[in-house]
Amino acid sequence: MTTNGTGSREKTVGTNVSRVDGRAKVTGKAAYVDDLATPGALFGATVRSDVARGTLRGIVKDPAFDWTGITVVTAADIPGDNVVALIEDDQPLLAKDAIRHVYEPVALVACADPVRLQKAVAAISLDVEKLPPVLSIEDAEAKTQIIHGTDNVQKRYVIEHELGGKTIDELIAACDVVLTGRYAVHHQEQMYIEPQGMIAHWEEEGGPTPGVHVTGSLQCPFYVHKAMKRAFGLEGDKVHIGQAVTGGGFGGKEEYPSIVAAHAALLSKVAGKPVRMIYGRKEDIEATTKRHPARVEITTGCTKTGELVALKIECAMDGGAYVTLTPVVLSRGILHAAGAYKWKHARVHGWAVATNTPPNGAFRGFGAPQTIWAIERHMDRLAEKLGREPLALRQQNVLGIGSVTVTGQTLTESVGVVECIEKATKASDYFVKRAHYNEPSPPHARTRRGIGAAVFMHGAGFTGSGERRLKGKVQVDLEQGGVLRVRSASTDIGQGTETIFRQIAADAAELPFDSIVVETPNTSNVPDSGPTVASRTVMVVGSIVGKAAKQVADRVRGTGAGDFAKLADALLAKEKTVSALVEYEPPLKIQFNDETYRGDAYPCYAWACDIAEVEVDLDTFETKVLGFWAAQDIGKAIHPLMCAGQVEGGTLQAIGWALYENVVWKDGHIMNPRMTNYVIPTSKDAPPFTTFLVEHPFSGGPSGAKGVGELPMDGGAPAIAAAVEQAIRAKCNDLPLLPEDLFRAVRAAREGARS
Amino acid sequence: MSAYAPAGLERTEMARPKTIVEACRILAQAVRAKKTASLLAGGTDVIVDRHLMPVAKAHAIDLIVDVTGVEELVRISERDVGGERHLVFGGGVTYWQLRTDARVTGTIPMLDAMAKDVGAVQIQTRGTLAGNIATASPAADGVPALMALDGKVTLVKDGGARTVPLDQFFLAYRKTVLAPDELIAEIAVRVPKDGARVRWRKVGTRLAQAISKVALASVVEEEGGVITRARFGMASVAAVPHPLAGVRALVEGKSTKSLDRAAIDAAIDREIKPIDDVRSTGPYRLHVAKALVWRALAP
Amino acid sequence: MIRFKVNGAARETDAPPLARLLDVLRVPLGLTGTKEGCGEGECGACSVLLDGVPVNSCLVAVGQCEGRDIVTVEGLAHGEELTPLQRAFVEDGGAQCGICTPGMLVAAEALLRRNTRPTDDDIRDAIAGNLCRCTGYQRIVDSIQAAAAAVRAKGSRA
Repeated sequence: MTTNGTGSREKTVGTNVSRVDGRAKVTGKAAYVDDLATPGALFGATVRSDVARGTLRGIVKDPAFDWTGITVVTAADIPGDNVVALIEDDQPLLAKDAIRHVYEPVALVACADPVRLQKAVAAISLDVEKLPPVLSIEDAEAKTQIIHGTDNVQKRYVIEHELGGKTIDELIAACDVVLTGRYAVHHQEQMYIEPQGMIAHWEEEGGPTPGVHVTGSLQCPFYVHKAMKRAFGLEGDKVHIGQAVTGGGFGGKEEYPSIVAAHAALLSKVAGKPVRMIYGRKEDIEATTKRHPARVEITTGCTKTGELVALKIECAMDGGAYVTLTPVVLSRGILHAAGAYKWKHARVHGWAVATNTPPNGAFRGFGAPQTIWAIERHMDRLAEKLGREPLALRQQNVLGIGSVTVTGQTLTESVGVVECIEKATKASDYFVKRAHYNEPSPPHARTRRGIGAAVFMHGAGFTGSGERRLKGKVQVDLEQGGVLRVRSASTDIGQGTETIFRQIAADAAELPFDSIVVETPNTSNVPDSGPTVASRTVMVVGSIVGKAAKQVADRVRGTGAGDFAKLADALLAKEKTVSALVEYEPPLKIQFNDETYRGDAYPCYAWACDIAEVEVDLDTFETKVLGFWAAQDIGKAIHPLMCAGQVEGGTLQAIGWALYENVVWKDGHIMNPRMTNYVIPTSKDAPPFTTFLVEHPFSGGPSGAKGVGELPMDGGAPAIAAAVEQAIRAKCNDLPLLPEDLFRAVRAAREGARS
Repeated sequence: MSAYAPAGLERTEMARPKTIVEACRILAQAVRAKKTASLLAGGTDVIVDRHLMPVAKAHAIDLIVDVTGVEELVRISERDVGGERHLVFGGGVTYWQLRTDARVTGTIPMLDAMAKDVGAVQIQTRGTLAGNIATASPAADGVPALMALDGKVTLVKDGGARTVPLDQFFLAYRKTVLAPDELIAEIAVRVPKDGARVRWRKVGTRLAQAISKVALASVVEEEGGVITRARFGMASVAAVPHPLAGVRALVEGKSTKSLDRAAIDAAIDREIKPIDDVRSTGPYRLHVAKALVWRALAP
Repeated sequence: MIRFKVNGAARETDAPPLARLLDVLRVPLGLTGTKEGCGEGECGACSVLLDGVPVNSCLVAVGQCEGRDIVTVEGLAHGEELTPLQRAFVEDGGAQCGICTPGMLVAAEALLRRNTRPTDDDIRDAIAGNLCRCTGYQRIVDSIQAAAAAVRAKGSRA
């Protein structure tokens, strides 16, 4: 079917071919998990704890309730290990003895009638002996209650750079200008519009595909595969994990789907019927992962002329009740904590603590937005102290080709940050507006404007040796008519993977776009390409998609001259299967020591400058974002329209995090688990975006492409804060910047000025 | 999840009257038969509340009276009352009607502005004035606007009718004078004099799909620089939508130029005690309430 | 039995009158293009046209639909031919993950039926009841503008 006008062999990389899943999505035919019909299926639901910490003494089924036709399972029914296999094995699929957070799953219920199902869930009560909970980073650090290891610390990292036998405190003390600041960020809910969901069924031995089949909304089919093998004690070939069309993820469907899948499969196994486990919005907000809150203390030393010299960072993150992905989030956080700047000496120390709150997890940016918030606020504080224009101070110190990062990585290519700053400042008229908005406003003005900038970078691909260990693979098969089928585990969750892989494969194989098809990921028919995370899909997996496609095309063309399709059919007639399986090999020059945290933390970085212009109502402290300019160096835009969509969508999530979104907690419970009061921006709140895609190619990426997925999440909040601070003439060191927070900040600033 | 009614409504019957008289008769019969009955218009409260309500709390409703088929309820007309021009809205008039009916947008643009701030288009097309009034949410947007326009509601029942000023309609949090056999047939609002300052300002959690943190509707009429009439309706600062009668008493008869802000702020302090909740804080609400009142009074 | 028209065809249901229109569309009628994102009229993913007016089908009791005319996302295209809006959402970046797209298209369709020359603010007002977490809305606004231009050029309805 040629719908794209790309039946020609013209190169498609760099062009806006129409997205291949577009027609299905605009006609309502795209089938998300809740759209899949499952005749005879039961509905599944979860019984959860309503205390934050305690000892589970029993699970009580109301004897007065009619339990006919209702399946109830508990930890005792798990055939394999009662763990959510990920990094450590500390999180149970269903709590058995200990309750470690509100909303922790304890039992599962299935029933054919959804209303009876709800009633059955309500008829199960948990007998829990309460224990005093740990509900914040400070609680955990106080160590009054020990809930993890001996000190509540889940993970700790230290980066030391050019200390030369001195302590960082000594090096800072020797500087002309010393500044200390403390910055904090809060939880953030991913709020994909499609809630989590999985459908599971079991196929008996002797069938064509025996074992457990789970289909649903997910980012990483092989994460689910790994977790399911452990939970059910199954070999890999008995676990089949497939992706339904997925309505957004943003990291929220990285690790959590393993739990939904295992729960659905467990109910299905016991009930002997397919089970649909589809979360409602409230349950999704309450139970699933969120962005890690963090508290970052920064002390810096610099010269009088603003040259940065020494940096000390102490970063604490709240991992929540179980370790899950926290070590990796913390790692990425501290590796981005020094920002996009040159430091002669640095010590970055990060640790994550356990609390009795739902585990925090993957969310676009993955630790980096937290630490970039801190360093960007600190740069603004430093500019004030030095009496410098904040963006000029950044320009003076920004990393470039030949610069060395705090892990000792020398940047040798693909650093487009200067061009990003030039493009964004010029289009927004930043310097003129910044100076203008510093002028005193008329005494009765009820609004005031501000403009602010953030400069930042984001490492593309897995950290350090991650890709080397992971060995991601892609397979390309030749099919009748000269069609190439790309098999990878990289999921399309809206970002356009399917379209982009077709572009990359078509160009590499010198075939028309329409000669490429992309297999919908299922662990039984795609190789493990690694997870769909870490801004790695295009740069890492995309690069081997191209290689594999070229290998297959070369084999076909090696058989003779003439029409590709005819050659392909002739080859297939001879060989039955013609395919290429390619494994990713990171550039050899990229070396990182996971113990010392020295070396090349990432193969390359994407760079950016964001500028936000705001107007704040000085009575109500509502912030209106008037305009947003984002210039982002992503190496090469394979599909410029989709890249711009990534930049704008990610940026709006960052704006939301800063200005609207706030998880309200009380005793470990979430008080606003609804879309009506966990507030994400609407079309009226979102600013008009001006987006520049800057292309400083990376030699290891397809056509020079780096990652674009996470970068846009990093700069929005600090750029907004810088603009808001200018408008309200008060400091904002902590997120969020809700009107109530700005009201308090302005009051505090006034009282400070008076005393 | 599936083709089921929200819990507690699985076996609820639905009546669909065509006239107000018929609707009243149905309500009267239900009350006599000791049935629980509820009116349904846009469903923006009833359906949502029941859908999100925990199963254990979802008591059954015997009868739902859907009034969306009653044409009299969606009429907008004009009436002269005591020499003053009034607009009269049927109880079923939607926010979308307020935004698109030329009589409304041309006569009282403040209602258009208010309606534009209610949810978003899909809520405006369903939500009704009577629903907003009967639900008695302190955060209602429509009620403060109607209150500032001297709104009076006509309550009808089988064999009777009465008219109640909106500022006497609400008794306590979510409690009103509406009897189980009554429905809100119409709301009459006084058209402010030409040149009056008729304002609406909603401070919500965002610019659409937002519940107000504070909202203020105001009508200020002047003669020769002296305020002859001041009316307010404020949302989300008390258990019920609030008319700020103390402020009104303080400013009527005063010249706009000589208003004493400190005294007005003190009156607001006496009248409202806004609370902390998931959307905002008491101190912020109080601060904004004062600022909005001052803006409403400004020339 | 409740009878109504869906996408031009007469349909009926024996669902209880207080069942949500959303559930009746999705399950017995199999029209799963209409999505549920929140169940409380907040996200707009379940938007449909009811007698030409955009509504959240999660707020509509099916009993209220007797005799009425409902259009879902499946009823927008003319056979295989996409509408200008649908084409624009495919070509101009309006659709990413696609879960908000059906509701977004319905809301935009209602806008273009009453105004083929909308400003960006008109568009942002018309889709303010449709939450999108992917796009930042800019490409959606652009898509709707592109569709409006196409409609004007054709001199036809959306």
